[in-house]
Amino acid sequence: MSRARPFPAAATLGILALSACTGPQSALDPAGEDAAEIAGLFWQMLAGAAVIWCLVLGGSVLASWRGRSLWQVATALKVILWAGAVFPTVVLAGLLIHGLRLMPGLRATESDLRIEVVGERFWWRVIYHRDGAPPVTSANEIRLPAGATVEFILSSPDVIHSFWIPPLGGKTDLIPGRTTRQVLRPTKPGVYRGACAEFCGASHALMALTAEVMTPDDFARWLQAEAGPAAVTAGPGPDAFLRHGCAACHTVRGTEANALVGPDLTHLGSRHTVGAGILANSPAAIARFVAHADTLKPEIRMPSYAMLPETELRLLADWLASLR
Amino acid sequence: MITWRQGLLGLVLLALAGLLLAWSGLIGIGAGSGHWKITDLVLHWAMEQSVETAALSVEEPPELDEPRQIRRAAGHFEASCAFCHGSPLRGRPPLSDRMTPPPPPLTQSAEIWSAAELFVIVQQGVKFTGMPAWIAPERADEVWAMVSFLRVLPGMDAATYRDLAFGTGPPSEADADPVLANCARCHGFDGGTDGGAFPMIGGLPEAYLRDTLQAFANGTRQSGIMRFAAAGLTPDAIARVSAHYASQRPPAAPPGEELTAGLLAHGEKIATEGIPEERVPACGRCHADRPGRNPAFPELDGQAAWYLEEQLHLFKAGARGGGPYARLMAKVVPGLTPEDIEAVAAYYASLPATPQAAATR
Repeated sequence: MSRARPFPAAATLGILALSACTGPQSALDPAGEDAAEIAGLFWQMLAGAAVIWCLVLGGSVLASWRGRSLWQVATALKVILWAGAVFPTVVLAGLLIHGLRLMPGLRATESDLRIEVVGERFWWRVIYHRDGAPPVTSANEIRLPAGATVEFILSSPDVIHSFWIPPLGGKTDLIPGRTTRQVLRPTKPGVYRGACAEFCGASHALMALTAEVMTPDDFARWLQAEAGPAAVTAGPGPDAFLRHGCAACHTVRGTEANALVGPDLTHLGSRHTVGAGILANSPAAIARFVAHADTLKPEIRMPSYAMLPETELRLLADWLASLR
Repeated sequence: MITWRQGLLGLVLLALAGLLLAWSGLIGIGAGSGHWKITDLVLHWAMEQSVETAALSVEEPPELDEPRQIRRAAGHFEASCAFCHGSPLRGRPPLSDRMTPPPPPLTQSAEIWSAAELFVIVQQGVKFTGMPAWIAPERADEVWAMVSFLRVLPGMDAATYRDLAFGTGPPSEADADPVLANCARCHGFDGGTDGGAFPMIGGLPEAYLRDTLQAFANGTRQSGIMRFAAAGLTPDAIARVSAHYASQRPPAAPPGEELTAGLLAHGEKIATEGIPEERVPACGRCHADRPGRNPAFPELDGQAAWYLEEQLHLFKAGARGGGPYARLMAKVVPGLTPEDIEAVAAYYASLPATPQAAATR
């Protein structure tokens, strides 16, 4: 008993530590080739670092026990040269070469799908480019076919953001005035979470992204549906949308709302979240966001519509939630 | 030889004696006898110095002294200034000479003070006198209008003053309503611009007018002139006046200075398409006349250009409240440059005023 006691405590701590390694936003639980490479590199480096840490610590302990009697001065100088200069140089050079060898994969030129992502304050504009068909615009959610090579074309109109879906790959900055690229090869269907990884303003931490990896067939069906108009384009919901000026900023395809200032809401009801990952999607969440956008997301460009009568808010939210 | 210790003691005793005097109640504070000459001189000198120094950082606007600025402030002068300072129409009010210091008659003010100094006095008021600060100090445009008026006031005859302060509109049956008659001194019975001096309010949606008057009355929309005018109105009076002006169809404002086709085209683009790359939505999505539109959004067609420009600049500066929907504009204006604002204001001013949408009724 007395020997078994410390074990459960250590195990508990270990499990707690490891629990951070899984989940929809973990780089250590890869669901794509690029993330797998990054995770592999991480584990290799961790193992190597553990070995070097033990050697350095062992050397220090040895030196403090044995003092000057351990080595002659000439031997000690050789140890400093080999262990202190040559060894790190060789290890770091090896790591550099290994790391650089991984990079071309991030710049693949052949891709099966091109998705344009524009970082806005504080949401993501997402445009799927299709061969021989008009592009499909969505927002704050990216759907990807498993097994495909997907090229992201990244840009930003005003401030720097960074595009990062940890389970799928590394991060790439979105820089005003230039276009950056990232290639991802998702492998495992599932719903993952990405985030803006470069401070972009007051609501930087509230700028998330849902990434859903689907089977190729499901994805093709979904993209076909996403390209279509909204499910309901006439009636009291769209009337309220036009009445209060929502169409000044948003597009809902199939209605006369075609503005490009804010996110496209054509299929808002089908998205997992509202407000770029801050609320689980539901009619109540949409109503809350419409009424309190700038308290839910400070410095957001969307004004709060708290002054709308409850009935109007509900009309709007129910209609938007029905747009699957 | 007085030591510093004795000197200090003397000062303390002097201060105590002063306090004792005040405590005794023997100092008269009645206004009827005025100040001692020396008090008056020192106070006035300190005030002059203060105003001159404050005026150093005041820049005159280009539209100073324009007739519409003069007309714009005259009605407010009559309502809130003439009571103490008098006017060409009512002369020197008898109460004025019983005040300490007596409010100056303003017959020479424009010669004594520069425009910038008048601005400082009107905007900030004067301590230890009866002169209040401007109700909404952020409305520099209103203060400058008042300065323009003060600069033409010396030597003005009673008839000119009457036309400026009471308007020249024909008498109407609406005269029977004193609230409406007071509005009409500036806005006319038809809510027109009176040659561009005032915003066009005739024909705006009733809901918008009601929200706006309410906002002026409680200070959520900043204005020294309109808060003074609206503050005492009962909800009933606000509803009555709003309904009256909503039913009017005034003529359009006179066109502004030379308008280039490029300016109007730029304004039209902003009004109909917005500036998507600057995240500016199209004005028309809320303000255009369309069935089912929210009646809290005012029409802009035919509105006075200077007024629209001023409002957009105030929105940008965060100094333009209003009804419950006014806050929407705060998110619209950041991407607009002064050139954009000029263009879109000129564009809307160039349109004929729309007959009010059936949908907003």
